[in-house]
Amino acid sequence: MAVRGAGMMKLLPLIFLLLFVVGISGAPVAGEQKASVMITGYQVSPDALMYNDIGTITVTVKNMEALQSVKIKEASLLEREIKVLSDPYVSIGSLGPGESLNLSFTIRAGYTDGIYYPRILLEAENAENVRYQIPVKIDSTPLTIGVKDMPEEIVKGERAEIKLVVGNPRPNTVTGVKIVTDDENVIPSEVFIGTLSSDESKVASFNFTPQTKGVHTLTFSLEFKNGDNPHSTALNIPLNVTESKKSAELILTGIEIESTLGMSVYKITGDINNAGLEEARSVVMKVGEGEGIEAMHPYKSYFVGLLSPDDFSSFELDVQVDENVTKVPLIIEYKDEEGNLFSMIEYISIEHRPATSSGEMPVSMIVVLVVIALLIIGVVAYSWKKR
Amino acid sequence: MLDVLIKPNKFFEARMKEAESLKVPLLIVLISGMISGIVAFLMARIALEMLSETLPPEALGLASTIGGISAFVGAVVVSLVIWVVFAAVFFGISWLLKGEGTFKRTLEFVGYGYIPMIIGGIISAVLIYNFISTAQIPQVTDPAQIAEIVTQWIMKSPMLQLSSIIGTLFMLWSANIWVFGLRHARNLSTKNALITVGIPVALYVLYSVWRLGVLG
Repeated sequence: MAVRGAGMMKLLPLIFLLLFVVGISGAPVAGEQKASVMITGYQVSPDALMYNDIGTITVTVKNMEALQSVKIKEASLLEREIKVLSDPYVSIGSLGPGESLNLSFTIRAGYTDGIYYPRILLEAENAENVRYQIPVKIDSTPLTIGVKDMPEEIVKGERAEIKLVVGNPRPNTVTGVKIVTDDENVIPSEVFIGTLSSDESKVASFNFTPQTKGVHTLTFSLEFKNGDNPHSTALNIPLNVTESKKSAELILTGIEIESTLGMSVYKITGDINNAGLEEARSVVMKVGEGEGIEAMHPYKSYFVGLLSPDDFSSFELDVQVDENVTKVPLIIEYKDEEGNLFSMIEYISIEHRPATSSGEMPVSMIVVLVVIALLIIGVVAYSWKKR
Repeated sequence: MLDVLIKPNKFFEARMKEAESLKVPLLIVLISGMISGIVAFLMARIALEMLSETLPPEALGLASTIGGISAFVGAVVVSLVIWVVFAAVFFGISWLLKGEGTFKRTLEFVGYGYIPMIIGGIISAVLIYNFISTAQIPQVTDPAQIAEIVTQWIMKSPMLQLSSIIGTLFMLWSANIWVFGLRHARNLSTKNALITVGIPVALYVLYSVWRLGVLG
């Protein structure tokens, strides 16, 4: 027994050494038992937000363990300048070995441009917590719109092409870009451009045909989307619409009015001149409508035809007017080279006076009448005296 | 013949001693009718000229000639008819006033009364010719418009108004002659002769004045 006891005593140091070694190495073995999760990727949409834009941050969480599942308790996003609209994720569940999970958070941009770093906080039951910062850019630079090309002179009644250029100085691509106008004299009312990448520009053309002269302000609205957020920019273009300097300019000269046989029928004659620099085509003159005014044969209207610059033509119109009418409207219609119809009105004054076809004054007629009357009275009186 | 104008009483008194004869009165009425015919001829051509836009040129020339001649003949015939009508009216009124005498004598003396109307007709014809030759002729498509235009001429043209007034004045001169003529032809008192001639002539003058638009 003593031998057996002496042998046991010899083994004791070895047992302690083994226990010590096991005790030393046992602690590291217990630490390697905790699983590992990582954020392997993230995405901010849109890439750059404008102020007050709503966007999303999507993070990819991956269980890096090959054999062990990880139970994720909570995921939340924290940031002062950027408002997080969505609630934190709670009791997400287990993530199998090597599996990944996307978690999305809705955010609203603040009012100050800059780069912000909201933090993702991930808590797992059997893994270490993860904190991760994601850069989010807020850039409120709008799209630009300007006039690329337009005529130096905008002329009433003539079509003018206005080219607008839209540029994207933003760091990200915008979508749904279009230019809209509600001006009835502008065609088309909308030009759709679509997607516009960063630092890209596109040109849109509009046709403007003013109907009145004077100052005219064209208003265009540039509309686009940054992510899902609609934005717009206005462009006002003040224009001075003028009469064409080169167009035909018809004027009447040498107007003569002859009354017909003492009736209220007048023959209006004169010359129509083209004092402009362009041809007037299909020139037609007619008597305008009005109360107590009626065009008469044979010249109810007068066709002049082509009237070249510095050329003239005579015309003749017949009109019957009531005695209370003092002005007769003459309508002059013509077309330009493009077939646009122009119309102008000239008023001709009518002077009502008794027509004296022989040129004698009524006073002289009365004298003749009185002489004849006196002669007859004298003869009649004489006949009665001498009966 | 001058006596019938300035001393009609003596003229008709002398004619009563002679046989009834219509030769000279007929000639007088014919001359008066022809003067009216000239005026009618001119007016007819004017009317056709108004329609020149609606008539072909060859038809216009023919129509102008035929129309003018027809108007001339028509005016002469109408003058003769009116002579007879006037005489008949005078004869009828004087019959009511117990007048005595033949219709032929009445017709003869009424015919002499046409002499002043020859003078008046010549003056009127000159005025109308002057008026037509210097005036512009409007073109019409509807013949019904011609009457309207002529009415407006008479209403508004001083020349035609003067012509019409002169015609009326010479008519009154004729009426004066008819008074003396009827007095002898129908053996009337001066008063009854005035009534006999005055009624139809007054009606005629009133109509003329109304047509001039003074009363219209």
